[in-house]
Amino acid sequence: MSRWATIQQGFLATLVVWPGVAPFGMVYAVSALSAGLSFWETLGMSLIVFAGASQFTAVGLFGSGAHPFSIIATTAIINARHLLLAASTASYIRKSPTWLRALVAFQLTDETYAVGVQHFTQHGGDAWFQFGSNLSLYFVWATSTIIGSLLGALIPNPSALGLDLIFPLTFIAFTVPMLRDRVNLVVALLAALVSVATALVLPGSWYVLTAGIMASAVGAWLARRQQLAQMEPIHENS
Amino acid sequence: MSIWLTYAGMAAVTYAARAIPLLLLRNDPPPWLALWLKYVPPAVFTALIVPAVVTQMGDHGRVLQMGPAVGAAVVGALVAWRTENAIVTVALGMIAFWLIRLVVG
Repeated sequence: MSRWATIQQGFLATLVVWPGVAPFGMVYAVSALSAGLSFWETLGMSLIVFAGASQFTAVGLFGSGAHPFSIIATTAIINARHLLLAASTASYIRKSPTWLRALVAFQLTDETYAVGVQHFTQHGGDAWFQFGSNLSLYFVWATSTIIGSLLGALIPNPSALGLDLIFPLTFIAFTVPMLRDRVNLVVALLAALVSVATALVLPGSWYVLTAGIMASAVGAWLARRQQLAQMEPIHENS
Repeated sequence: MSIWLTYAGMAAVTYAARAIPLLLLRNDPPPWLALWLKYVPPAVFTALIVPAVVTQMGDHGRVLQMGPAVGAAVVGALVAWRTENAIVTVALGMIAFWLIRLVVG
């Protein structure tokens, strides 16, 4: 497939997460404007930082007059989870040139990571697919920021409508089919426990890191044990 | 410090988290690391789902909150198991959420 077709494929495969993202791009814009940011400052954060949860938090901190360094530190804590997403993505696209991986890194998000991994486990890694997916989310995030700025207070609060549930529901659709594999199922159950326990005691998104690292380590250990068990019978029979 | 310098700092720490692993992991990883990374997606996906469903931001951090979202997530999981279709999963999950909220409260 040509490079352009692959970018398009990644772009289109990401349409499925648009409904979960667009309402919050609009609301981010409304809350940023009401916190005193100008239109260009509101759109600028979406284009430069491009990280939903930390943008919402930053708007709250700007509104309360927080020191820039505390805003930057909070952003680092919220986005620390990207270390793990990026490491996981790297395992699929590490053969691509450095500049291309640096480009993919600029826009990697929870949503496009999920779309990418789903594609890569079936069709093999492809950095251009990931780039197309990232571009898709970048486009909808910027566009919904602009629409939100224009419509302003006309936009209903999506959380009151329960629309913040679209994000976990989309990820449920990605995850549940993976659980037909027994090791994945154990990993998911463990990740559920660890993530909730961590979320209750630590700020930011540390819960993604703790659960992501610990549950996957147990998964690797179980899979290794299965591999060894399949070799074992030879010894037992002798 | 101008707001744009703050943005630059925010973008820098965010880009660092996204770029460092992508730039460093370039050779064939040792088998143990490859196997570990193989199980990161189900772990991370689940961690992005469950706290979002069963907790809420309170005044002092997150607190457990078993509301209509839990029922909607269970419906979504059953639909995802049967259909493996994201659109149908989200649509039926949201309908379940609104119905439960209508009945419960």
